[in-house]
Amino acid sequence: MTAKDQDATARHDVDADSGATGLAVPGGLPTTAGLRRVMVPPGRAFDLLIVPTEGEPADSGDWIERARLWTAAPGLLPKQPAAHTAVPVLIPLYGCHVIWAPARGAVLGPTGRLDQLQVSLLEFAGCEADLADLELRCNRLLAATEGDAAAAFEFDERGPDRRAELASRFQEAVAVRRGLAALGPAVHVPPVHPPTLASQLAERLRDRTRLPERHELVTDRADFVLQIYEACGQRASEAAIARRQMGLEWAIIVILVAQLALMIVELLASRNST
Amino acid sequence: MPQIAIVGGGPGGLFTAWHLEQLATAPIEITIFEATDRVGGKVITPRFTAAPVHYEAGAAELYDYSPVGDDPLRELVESFGLPTVALGGSRVYVGGRAIANLDDLRDAYGDRACRDLGNFDTWARSVMTPREFFASGSDHAGSAEPSGRFDTTLAALPSREIRHYLETMIHSDLATPPAATSVAYGLQNYLMNDPAYMRLYCIAGGNEQLIDALVARLAATMRRSTVVEQVGEGSADQLRLTLLGHEGRREADFDIVVLALPMDALGRLAFASGSLAAAMQRHLAHHDHPAHYLRITLLLDGPPHTPTDDDGYLMLDAFGGCCLYLESAREPEARHGVLGWLLGGAAAESMAAWSDADLVTAALATLPDPLAVDPERVLEARVHRWTGAVSSLPGGWQPLSQDQRHRPAAKTHPGLFVVGDYLYDSTLNGVLDSAEHVAGCVAAELTDHAREI
Ligand SMILES: Cc1cc2nc3c(=O)[nH]c(=O)nc-3n(C[C@H](O)[C@H](O)[C@H](O)COP(=O)(O)OP(=O)(O)OC[C@H]3O[C@@H](n4cnc5c(N)ncnc54)[C@H](O)[C@@H]3O)c2cc1C
Repeated sequence: MTAKDQDATARHDVDADSGATGLAVPGGLPTTAGLRRVMVPPGRAFDLLIVPTEGEPADSGDWIERARLWTAAPGLLPKQPAAHTAVPVLIPLYGCHVIWAPARGAVLGPTGRLDQLQVSLLEFAGCEADLADLELRCNRLLAATEGDAAAAFEFDERGPDRRAELASRFQEAVAVRRGLAALGPAVHVPPVHPPTLASQLAERLRDRTRLPERHELVTDRADFVLQIYEACGQRASEAAIARRQMGLEWAIIVILVAQLALMIVELLASRNST
Repeated sequence: MPQIAIVGGGPGGLFTAWHLEQLATAPIEITIFEATDRVGGKVITPRFTAAPVHYEAGAAELYDYSPVGDDPLRELVESFGLPTVALGGSRVYVGGRAIANLDDLRDAYGDRACRDLGNFDTWARSVMTPREFFASGSDHAGSAEPSGRFDTTLAALPSREIRHYLETMIHSDLATPPAATSVAYGLQNYLMNDPAYMRLYCIAGGNEQLIDALVARLAATMRRSTVVEQVGEGSADQLRLTLLGHEGRREADFDIVVLALPMDALGRLAFASGSLAAAMQRHLAHHDHPAHYLRITLLLDGPPHTPTDDDGYLMLDAFGGCCLYLESAREPEARHGVLGWLLGGAAAESMAAWSDADLVTAALATLPDPLAVDPERVLEARVHRWTGAVSSLPGGWQPLSQDQRHRPAAKTHPGLFVVGDYLYDSTLNGVLDSAEHVAGCVAAELTDHAREI
């Protein structure tokens, strides 16, 4: 296991005690069904409903619908789901069913398949949460560029606060771009062949939620934002340099004037003495 | 103005006309002769009579090579603004058991079989990289292409189950028995399941829309219901076609003739001059290796009770290995169900003699439990027999150079060209490559000729 894998497992630490989480398995599901609360990056709780369907087809009864309703609990879904995603996303997969929504997920299938599905779903949930967080931060920055763009052309000095504000946005833009670069390999995963159940689920989840397209879009935006704040930084330092230069120029002028005055005084004194 | 005849209004003929019109630097007159009253050849999307539902009777899937290199077909489809749907399917039913991934394979045959498949897969990729797969059939493929027969490759597999699994997986694409398939072609048909090599897609609403889009944009004259019976020598350096149409039999001379015909139709064509007949005989002897397909398509009163995965198709080990298209799965809102069986090779050839009713009964009997359909639910059945309709080079045969392939009588009859999928990989991508090559040659020659004048 690589250090990165260990890190990923550690981040998936489980609080399986439903009493502690205040969660309960929804009614109408088999008694073997269970719940996990897992912390996925960036520090979000993700609740996972696990429904073994031993001896029964996964679509027996209305288990899928109950699980779907549970994942779609009001207040847990984003107000504005990503343009192409209808949440929760339901993926039927060779006798199993997987449901994903931003804060909850469910896996239904034979016991022998549930582990692979959980690992794959949690990895995806972490990746999606990361991306959603970066999208949010990038959108905030994008909105701010409207007011800040002028500073990329001409720096309007309104005190030292403005400079600090722009610097902090630049740092945030760099952090977002770095986050996106780090997330890239997890989003643009080449398809696995021959496939495993886990790889098939991961591919379908990425595909259905348009993860690669979303990543590309937000990366483009982050690049744009970064360009603006780089230009702002440029102008701000130019302004600082200009200010410093102006000070210097004034000092030189003052010295020259003083020198001139001294010379005049000296000249007058020498005339008077002759 | 140079007179150009294109014989065959299938994709090959239409692609050639399209490229010629794009490349020509001076006015040319193109006439396309099509034997039947419809153009499109084996790209055909008919409608059932019992309901306004369409299905693919010929080419059902297009191959997307764009992740690896230039894909002229994908570009053409996109340039026409045709919406596409990705097609996927990794389920192979062997002995009634579904194997969709390594986990299923391990459950069914154990760890050893899984390792065997892994080893075969690693070997297949080492023998043919995505770039080599992409270049295969072209002059750049070189001698690196694996030679030999595919049946010996399969026989070398230690696990009988994996052999059977692989045969089932790729058989309907091959349409030829492994003994008559080259290792390169067999491997291509295995590797095409790996998205790193290529992806499958179809045109939403039916593949025939590509034909409609082409016809709408062509300026060429279209002579439907006109059979070209014979190619001979005309006045000067021209070629003379004998045509049979509504107005009876007549002859017409052309500067350039492009035969965009599949092998079976090319074999029926007469050649008047001795040297031309001999050259065409050599061409046929090299390329004519008939392979067979048979399609059985059923319209159901509602979506079939299949597990509702995204898959557009799956493989069955019935009929020596066949592909079952879940055509209605491509349209989520579909109120009817459409199931289509594609049989290939010997089974397709021998069963072509069966009655439609027997074929439908046999097809329904192949459905494994979770897919089973009550015969009462079948509203309409369509059968399309494609005996000898395709051709591919058998194992061990070396493809000719591009020029040799496309100009069977270059010295004696430089105005005669052939275009065909059989010159490449028996697909639409192949016939487009062929059409592009010929259009390029013809356009270059016309430009040279115009300069001389
Ligand atoms: C069942 C089946 C499934 C297939 N599936 C796929 C697939 O999934 N993907 C893929 O890429 N390819 C597929 N193919 C292959 C694909 O259909 C061919 O590559 C393509 O149709 C070849 O085009 P063509 O113009 O060379 O030949 P055709 O499509 O056969 O067209 C030839 C045309 O010439 C006309 N003609 C014949 N004789 C004469 C004459 N004497 N005078 C005038 N006109 C004549 C015919 O009527 C016909 O219209 C499939 C083929 C079959 C049979």
